[in-house]
Amino acid sequence: MTTYDVELIDIVKDFESGGKPVRAVDHVSAQIADGEFFALLGPSGCGKTTTLRLIAGFEQPTAGKVLIRGLAMEGIPAYHRPVNTVFQDYALFPHLTVEQNIMFGLQMEGVNKKEARKRASESLDMVRLPDVGARKPHQLSGGQQQRVALARALVKKPAVLLLDEPLGALDLKLRVNMQYELKALQRDVGITFIYVTHDQEEAITMADRIAVMNEGKMLQIGSPREIYEHPDTHFVADFIGETNFIAGALLDQDADGFGRVRLADESVIKAQLSQTLRSAGGAVTVAIRPERIGISTLQQRPEALGTDVDSGEITLLDALLVDSQYIGTDTRYTVRIGDESDLVVRVQNTSERDNSAIAVGQPFKIFWRPSSATVLDR
Amino acid sequence: MSVSSELLINEGSMRRNRAVRRFGQIGLWLNPVFAYFFLWAPIVILVLFSFNDSRSVASFTGFTLKWYNNILNNVMGAERAFSTEIMLNAFRNSLFVGTVATAIATALGAMIALALARGNFPGKKLIDGLLFLPVVIPEITQAISLAIFFKVAFDWIATISGERIFPGFHTIIMAHVTFNISFVAIVVRARLADMDPQLEEAANDLGANPWRTFWRITFPLVLPGVVSGALLAFTLSLDDFVITFFTSGVGTSTLPVFVYGLLKLTVTPEVNAISTIMMVLSTLLIGISLVLQARSASRV
Repeated sequence: MTTYDVELIDIVKDFESGGKPVRAVDHVSAQIADGEFFALLGPSGCGKTTTLRLIAGFEQPTAGKVLIRGLAMEGIPAYHRPVNTVFQDYALFPHLTVEQNIMFGLQMEGVNKKEARKRASESLDMVRLPDVGARKPHQLSGGQQQRVALARALVKKPAVLLLDEPLGALDLKLRVNMQYELKALQRDVGITFIYVTHDQEEAITMADRIAVMNEGKMLQIGSPREIYEHPDTHFVADFIGETNFIAGALLDQDADGFGRVRLADESVIKAQLSQTLRSAGGAVTVAIRPERIGISTLQQRPEALGTDVDSGEITLLDALLVDSQYIGTDTRYTVRIGDESDLVVRVQNTSERDNSAIAVGQPFKIFWRPSSATVLDR
Repeated sequence: MSVSSELLINEGSMRRNRAVRRFGQIGLWLNPVFAYFFLWAPIVILVLFSFNDSRSVASFTGFTLKWYNNILNNVMGAERAFSTEIMLNAFRNSLFVGTVATAIATALGAMIALALARGNFPGKKLIDGLLFLPVVIPEITQAISLAIFFKVAFDWIATISGERIFPGFHTIIMAHVTFNISFVAIVVRARLADMDPQLEEAANDLGANPWRTFWRITFPLVLPGVVSGALLAFTLSLDDFVITFFTSGVGTSTLPVFVYGLLKLTVTPEVNAISTIMMVLSTLLIGISLVLQARSASRV
């Protein structure tokens, strides 16, 4: 039997709010492996922070179990759990110096002062913030406080480090830098990170696996690539990046996990079925990313498409240009297909191609690979 | 032509605006001057006449320290002997009552504040609301209610044990504790409300149990609030007249009660001198309390 660093088994957490119980976490299960960078991603109020607090021990689950390194955490208070937290607002002790802040956790373990001081200074070196030990937290910048909070948690060498939107309070540029640093740090120390964020880009950049949460439920767990390319549900497809949704009716499914969908204008397209698809036929939605769609007059071998279409290797639809926008790296087109729905297409701007060569109202063909499109429950 | 006249008009209106603004600024400056005049004029007069060389308050004839000298040397005017000893005794009584009442009220008040800020128990909202009661009810009401309470309680004890308890320091101290608890609790409560509850969670997270979390994190952070609450309580206790008057017994006069006794005869410059000393002392204590509150607020 494999043991995981953290295992959540069918966790439920209800809160009392104005006399009514509110379900913050709704039957959540997950297994997080040793040394994994695991992101909990979702909009505010989705239950991701509550899930983190359940692992930390600040909340007790209404039902279900939290296991850390195979041990049931029921009845074990936060101060006895082998996890440490980096809080969103850092929660540095304002009356203690930076060094005392970092030494605090070690002293609680009974580490002597000399040893604690040595380890605190090593820890500050690790977050590349030496020479601030004697300062008070309020004398540091936001980014520096963030590093101190990290050092304070890591100095305890926890089994799992819990991070609650740690970069949320930093400005954009610093945030991007810290993303790389955090990821590198995690690789170096080899500690399991559970990282709560509402920023999908942050999750995709850093995490080994992402769990997307909404309304207390864990909708999908997978690698950033799986989550982005093969969302299981409408919510995940919509929450992560930009997606086109096309309504249709599922006609049949084949053994390879593909299905044929009839659109409103009677055209039939092929697309990959989502892992969790429940409907065996009838109303479905096809999701396709804007950058996966090609425009025949601009790109990619239109002459080669004909044969592909016949073999079902490519989906080809008639479309009209409605609008186009230059957005720097890409050009963003709004095109109208046969069933009168509008799709967004993104084409990268390159020096070889003139993306402004097509005019509004101009007809052309758009195309994509069936494996790029996903059939979801409506 | 048109351009230059337009410029002139603009210049004129700008000058007018500037004048209006100047007037407004002077008004804004005068407003607090008047307000503070009404607030402070009586006190300034009191202080001024405690240094007046003349016994009459009709005119200020010159600077003197003789009234301060008199109260320390058993002299009160030419006609009456003044007992410095009784005054100092009353002052000692005040300090004693203030210290004991403050210690008890601070301990109880801080505990109530902590329970209200962190605890979760039925009736919490009610207790929270009742906390302000001693602050808002008239002092005379509280004084009479305490006097009646002590009478009833002592009568009851007398019928049960046959032992009669007479009012004294214990009744004054109990009375001072009752009104001081609220002030301490309110100040400490405000301090706790400013404190990020995540700090306690962070301490927990780093391996500190609730006991160590309290002494290492919570207590040092609320300490300025506790100290400023205590100073406030001590000041209120020193200054209190009404409640003390109604709950004191024989030989337990505090300084305000002593001063009231002097006033029954006549307002003498010596009374001004004593009052000035009391005022300076109270202001100093309140000032320290405010500085502590402000300094700690900036640290959270």
